[in-house]
Amino acid sequence: MRGAAFILWRLSLTTFLQQLFNALALGGVYALVALGLTLVYGVMRVPNFAHGGLYMLGAYFAYAALSGLGVPYVAALLLAAAGVALLAALLERAVFYPLRNAPHVHSMIAAIGVLFFVEAAVQLIWGPDFKQIAEPVPGIVNLGGVIITWQRVLVIAASVLVVLGLNYFLKRTLTGATIEAMSQNREGARLVGVNVNRVGMLTFAISGGLAAAAAALIAPIISVAPSMGEVMNLKVFAIIILGGMGSVPGAIVGAFLLALAEVFGGFYINLDFADVIGFAMLVLVLAIKPEGLFRRGT
Amino acid sequence: MLEVRDLSVNYGPFRALHDVNLTVQGGEIVVLLGANGAGKSTLFRTLSGLQRPSGGTATWNGTPLTGGRPEFNVSRGVSQCPEGRLLFPDLSVDKNLRLGAFVHRQDAAGNARELERVYTLFPALVEKRRAPAGSLSGGQQQMVAIARALMARPELLLLDEPSLGLAPLVVEQVFEAVQRVNEAGVSVLLAEQNAFAALGIAHRGYVLEGGRVSLQGSQAELLGDDRVRSAYLGV
Repeated sequence: MRGAAFILWRLSLTTFLQQLFNALALGGVYALVALGLTLVYGVMRVPNFAHGGLYMLGAYFAYAALSGLGVPYVAALLLAAAGVALLAALLERAVFYPLRNAPHVHSMIAAIGVLFFVEAAVQLIWGPDFKQIAEPVPGIVNLGGVIITWQRVLVIAASVLVVLGLNYFLKRTLTGATIEAMSQNREGARLVGVNVNRVGMLTFAISGGLAAAAAALIAPIISVAPSMGEVMNLKVFAIIILGGMGSVPGAIVGAFLLALAEVFGGFYINLDFADVIGFAMLVLVLAIKPEGLFRRGT
Repeated sequence: MLEVRDLSVNYGPFRALHDVNLTVQGGEIVVLLGANGAGKSTLFRTLSGLQRPSGGTATWNGTPLTGGRPEFNVSRGVSQCPEGRLLFPDLSVDKNLRLGAFVHRQDAAGNARELERVYTLFPALVEKRRAPAGSLSGGQQQMVAIARALMARPELLLLDEPSLGLAPLVVEQVFEAVQRVNEAGVSVLLAEQNAFAALGIAHRGYVLEGGRVSLQGSQAELLGDDRVRSAYLGV
């Protein structure tokens, strides 16, 4: 009898909604990280393998601001985003800009080098063990039996807000238009007088800021560790390949698809399979539609 | 005035332009005739600052154009409508044009005026202003490309092969528009393989062969020249 009750609980609407909320929170975080990666790919045509490193650094910056400076959570999040944005812009100047005329593989190798460097630096400063960030609003919300932590509500709300803000920036401002223009036709952008170096730096800064914000949002739910960047790297690369390299809507849709597949696959099939399901989905999409779900501009 | 002196451009060991000398006076339409690979686009890329020359100079009203910074050249009144158009295909026609005015981004009122002007010049684009530029026909895309170059409010317009791949009737419309732009005071350097249409509106011309200027003269001289007639006019 207990077995039957357990199965019923698993299949109930309440648990379904519960898992849906978990997936939305995870998808929001994936979306923020993947958006930065896809923007940088669109503008610079560089798959930035260091992106996961920036995400991980964001979590540590938030941790340092909270435990070291003792600032409130939101301030720590903003500090982490600003700090990583600045570092990402410097990264573009110091590593990718000098390699702009070299074969593409050079900047890929450099990016992997940066990832290892960031990871080693973080281990040196903060040590290899896990760090905890306390939830800024502890406790849960109970929506008719669907139990969701305040932190997940915060993650969902904040990621929606940031994505809307980014969309406004890209679609409604001239500076945002230069990012889209450059990813659609680099030489055309140069001919109208867009300074492509400045746009490249700005795009890197935005991508770093988004990744750090995502890390600071999810950090109270997971543990902060130097290896979290590599794990995220795998997922966000899967997402932007799934969505179409360089496509903004593709990154958002891909992020939520992967999160849904992971959370529901993990819950209804087997937790050990969560990652397998995500990548099986990627293989399936690539087999049917090799260019990804969304075509990007040429 | 545009003054190109002994301009040479190398791509690695290959020399694309050999000591090219050429001028465009204020208010002129000058045509640059030449086959594929003669160096027309290389010259244009150099005048726009996309390509650094290996020797010689190019100046517009005394300002050097060879610094390798396209945004500088555009802000000094030299704007190019490139071969292949190089539009932003997923952005609307309107946004393509607004990006054309990027160097004047502080002057919103002036850009709004300029936008009205280019839509008057190309009325066919008005109903397409919200459509992605990539969805337009070849002729309309060419109009967007010219309009985008005009949004930079050029004193010198570099037009690279605007008739390429267009139907004769559309070519006529495009060239009429170029003439109207010129009448409004913009100097034009026009690269063309379609010599007949181009010489129809040009004041003077140069023939580029193998990266060298092989011939130059007025409209009448070039139209009457046997070499031009056989090589480019097919008569």
